[in-house]
Amino acid sequence: MTTVPGAPSSKYMKTPNDSPLKVWFLAPLAIWLTVLFLLPLVFLLWIGFWRVENFQAVPDLSLGNYQEIFASFFSRSRYGLALVQSLWVAATTAVFAVVFSYVVALAIAFAVPARWQRLALLVAIAPFWSSYVLRLYSWQTILSRNGVINSILKQVGLSEYRIDIIYTQVATRIGLIHYLAPILIVILYVSILAIDRVLIEAARELGATRWQAFTRVILPLSRFGLMTAASFAVIVSLGDALSGNLLGGGAGASIIGKLPTYAGMIMSDYSSSTNLPRTSALATILIAVMVLTLAVGFVLADKARRRIG
Amino acid sequence: MRANPWILLGRLWLGLAYAFMFLPLVVLVLFSFQKNRFPGFPLQGWTLQWYDKLFTDGTLIKALGNTLIVSPAAASVATVIAFLAAYAFNRFTFRGKTTFLAMVTLPILIPPLILGVGFLGLLARLHLSGTLFAVFLTHVVLIVAPALAIIQLRLSQMPASLEEAAWDLGATQWQAVTRIVLPFALPGILGAWLLAFTFSFDEFIIAWFVSGFQPTLPVAIYSVLVAAIDPSLNAIGTIVFAISCLVLVGLELVLLPLLIGKSESRS
Repeated sequence: MTTVPGAPSSKYMKTPNDSPLKVWFLAPLAIWLTVLFLLPLVFLLWIGFWRVENFQAVPDLSLGNYQEIFASFFSRSRYGLALVQSLWVAATTAVFAVVFSYVVALAIAFAVPARWQRLALLVAIAPFWSSYVLRLYSWQTILSRNGVINSILKQVGLSEYRIDIIYTQVATRIGLIHYLAPILIVILYVSILAIDRVLIEAARELGATRWQAFTRVILPLSRFGLMTAASFAVIVSLGDALSGNLLGGGAGASIIGKLPTYAGMIMSDYSSSTNLPRTSALATILIAVMVLTLAVGFVLADKARRRIG
Repeated sequence: MRANPWILLGRLWLGLAYAFMFLPLVVLVLFSFQKNRFPGFPLQGWTLQWYDKLFTDGTLIKALGNTLIVSPAAASVATVIAFLAAYAFNRFTFRGKTTFLAMVTLPILIPPLILGVGFLGLLARLHLSGTLFAVFLTHVVLIVAPALAIIQLRLSQMPASLEEAAWDLGATQWQAVTRIVLPFALPGILGAWLLAFTFSFDEFIIAWFVSGFQPTLPVAIYSVLVAAIDPSLNAIGTIVFAISCLVLVGLELVLLPLLIGKSESRS
């Protein structure tokens, strides 16, 4: 960039795009992400093929870890069963969390006066700003056998109705829904807000009942938001080990049986063995399962849409 | 809108949802001041003993100290990196912009559990794992995306003519950045810092993998939690909750005007 002194600086009237700042300003982010994000991911995939000798990870290109994992996939170590448990818990959690959050978002958008909506949304997001680990601990004290709820029931003489869900996957889901709800509410509220109110009014003018206006106009138009929310909920639930460990008690009971979630298993597998190559292989399998799950979900959603449309 | 049963139902649901979402927080704060060894009813009277135990015991307070070193540091570095990149994204055109942006967002979409294993693999080779420094390095990756999003939002509200006017008046590009863009972006930068701080402050699983013998607060809480139920956790929870409330109020003051768009630009 050479400027002739005295020449009109008209070339500055447009934003100069060949400034050295471009490189300098993008470099820190690019370097940081390459070294501390891409490199670890590449490492993760690679270490899955290493072997362990004398408690040391040794670079290698063997399929040993994967053979070991799949050899006992549905038997001794039950990685496969944990995966099934995870998928079951994640899918059901996503459904409950999305329905719960969608109704909340609808209520904020349609049952709260316009000037209070911002506050209503803020109140709904507020719990997100408290520590997740501590919220799970609090749920433990609420749900446990002699915890807050059961002690209240006992006080009012309803002890035969005591709830017994701590250390089951039901409790795991409660913890996950509590974590997901604020985020999903924001996603869904924004997608409801984007719907043109005129369309709703037109439907009403043309004689649709409120329920019809909802099922024919609002629901189809929030499809994208619902899909986003559901995908997010599935990813988070599949990758979360905390709720399953603290509320599910590590191997919470569900319809499928008393099995840990896959993410919890990765955590316990590492802390008991510190076998990083095997842990990396387990994590790689989780990545593959997630990509597959999302792909299947999108295909199914697409098919459903074609059937309706 | 006339009153109709749906409105009533909606408000009822909203009330129930709020109750569900705030129940754990209320319970946490309530029992941090109760004598009960195990949280439950009947209440056994007010006390500060759990706070006392928390400070005399000291492990959780030490972990809180660790977190209060790591999180501000990570938030600050992430915010600086994010501001520089946001400026470049906002002003320049270059090939691969979309790919680059996607790569920034990816760390948030990939479950932290998977990232944690990957970070551990790399940092263990570099003999950096097991330190607070490792937590700092990895948290920056995670929190740079929200910071970038907010600063970009703010910069998109800035009329390009502001900067061009400065150049016309003889400012160098660098001067224009420091004297014009930076002051304009300040609310966005503040909001970005607070959000980045929140994400780092709460992050558990990556810290669990890489922090080793210098646990951050969530990791320390988890190890207490797995061992036994201890009302000291209610006390630290209440303190953490108070810190989070301050951050939330700060965000509300800084960020919402940005999002709702009371920007002085666009005119």
